[in-house]
Amino acid sequence: MTPETKLHSIQIDNEKCIGCVLCMRACPMKAIRIRNDKAVIDPLRCVDCGECYRVCPHDAVIPETTSFSYLKKFKYTVALPSPVLYMQFGWEVMPNQVLQGLKRFGFDYVYDVAWMCENVTAAYEVYMQLHPTLKPKISTVCPAVVRLITHLYPDLLNHFIPIESPRELAAKRLRFKLAIERNLKPEEIGIIHITSCAAKMVSVNHPVGLAKSHLDGVVSIKDIYGDLLDLIEDVEEDVILQKSSGVGLGWAQSGGEIRGMNLENALAVSGVSDVIRILDDAEAGRLRNIDYLELLICPDGCIGGPMVVQNRHIAKQRCETLVKMFGEKSRVSRKMIRRLFNEGFYKMEEGIEQTPLPPLDPDPIKAIQKSQKIEELLSQLCGKECGACGSPDCRTLARDIVVGEARLTDCVFIEEEKDNP
Amino acid sequence: MTDQPLFKKAFPVKGDFASAGEASVKVKNILKDIGYDSGVIRRVAVATYEAEMNVVMYGGGGEIVMAVNADHVNIIIVDQGPGIPDIKQALVEGYSTATEEMREMGFGAGMGLPNIRKNSNEFTIDSEMGKGTRLDLVFRCGG
Ligand SMILES: Nc1ncnc2c1ncn2[C@@H]1O[C@H](COP(=O)(O)OP(=O)(O)OP(=O)(O)O)[C@@H](O)[C@H]1O
Ligand code: SF4
Ligand code: SF4
Ligand SMILES: [Mg+2]
Repeated sequence: MTPETKLHSIQIDNEKCIGCVLCMRACPMKAIRIRNDKAVIDPLRCVDCGECYRVCPHDAVIPETTSFSYLKKFKYTVALPSPVLYMQFGWEVMPNQVLQGLKRFGFDYVYDVAWMCENVTAAYEVYMQLHPTLKPKISTVCPAVVRLITHLYPDLLNHFIPIESPRELAAKRLRFKLAIERNLKPEEIGIIHITSCAAKMVSVNHPVGLAKSHLDGVVSIKDIYGDLLDLIEDVEEDVILQKSSGVGLGWAQSGGEIRGMNLENALAVSGVSDVIRILDDAEAGRLRNIDYLELLICPDGCIGGPMVVQNRHIAKQRCETLVKMFGEKSRVSRKMIRRLFNEGFYKMEEGIEQTPLPPLDPDPIKAIQKSQKIEELLSQLCGKECGACGSPDCRTLARDIVVGEARLTDCVFIEEEKDNP
Repeated sequence: MTDQPLFKKAFPVKGDFASAGEASVKVKNILKDIGYDSGVIRRVAVATYEAEMNVVMYGGGGEIVMAVNADHVNIIIVDQGPGIPDIKQALVEGYSTATEEMREMGFGAGMGLPNIRKNSNEFTIDSEMGKGTRLDLVFRCGG
């Protein structure tokens, strides 16, 4: 696809979908319904977490990514691999070999995003020193978390650290730098992020905190892995493309952002239900003693992203080994970071706006009455939470009925009662 | 509360830490779904959570009752626990009888009741030794 205006990366393939209830029940946003035996996603609610993709046994949930043929449109191509890519291979494969493999794959330029992660860790530190109040600070690295917060936790918006993500910063810098160095027009350069993440495509098409993404597309680790594996075997170690230490490499998993930060009270939370729980705590004002809150929607962080190849427990082990191997001492120059920080290089271009979900009713009084109606309906429903009605649970069916998107007779048990009085 | 509220519901609070905080999240989520005044939601979220934690930690379980009206929300939090011997003292910032275990979990700053009072527009506390404790809170829109 061309990176145009699709609101979400997660799509349902109606040919393959058989309308089972698995994705609907897995969705933390209650964004899925089964209608006419097919899953339908509410674009307003979906945060592209990929939970539905993980559970679908029929490969009917498809995270849209950029096709390799789209890359042909560019004169010069740049690969920005997430550090997660390094953790997908065997013990003997080093990050630098992976980067060289990508060059052999055909990218004209390959950049170690882990290095930008390491830079951003230092930039966070500078920001936190300058803005010590309003705790906890929350990072904006995970697009699914950002969406979750703009949808449901508007009071936490001003806790975001307004620093752009490493992938965007890397793309921004490289487009500028390569255009000059290689005498190219900026639009002749195609910059592609290689990722485990289902939400990144959306962050390219519909960036938050940014007018237009600096990236041209997103390729999944799954899609590139097979080809890359063949290209890695016989690379020579003559060119050093890897710049990062363990501080940047560690970003692949939960806890990576805070690893390199000199903070006493930092907390890393991953996995969708734990993230929601901690956001509820934060909203209740219970985390004011926490300086920094790293939130990643996938279990164990991006290493547990939906589009990986390697088992995430093995990948975690691999990540720890690489972190130790390359050391936990940051290689960035603090002086340089400060200078770039003061020049505004890291700063998000735009503020992050809330995106509240539609209320039960635009009329406030009616909305309260509808809420009461939901409770009344709920007491009539079977409470078996079966999902056969096409809504993920009884409460959501009651809500769907009240807003006119379902009927009481959609409950299979109520229908039975009607047939045999 | 003389008028019939537009919405009323009771939320049981179990006395165990595992489910602590769930009832106040439900309360908050209902207000969010209604699209209620965001200032009220924020204050209800803080106050109800603190009150629920007190019910869990000291009251041995109880109940939260929420009544929603056009311009205000009433929240009642009750437990049948041991009661508070000296309410005046309990309301002092920093006063706490939390155990070591509770402090390890991040509670016991003695800020719960003061915060509940600060975040509500009306705050009434009744407690009887051996019978239990009841908080009556009112949250007004635009207040
Ligand atoms: N429902 C209750 N039943 C019995 N005692 C209570 C109840 N609620 C509060 N208390 C008493 O009042 C004290 C002060 O409560 P408060 O919520 O202000 O602080 P805390 O719970 O000790 O600490 P924090 O709320 O900051 O974690 C408690 O330590 C406890 O002794
Ligand atoms: S991507 Fe996540 S939020 Fe979107 S429909 Fe799937 S499970 Fe729901
Ligand atoms: S945790 Fe990482 S891989 Fe998962 S949704 Fe967030 S950014 Fe994407
Ligand atoms: Mg308390």
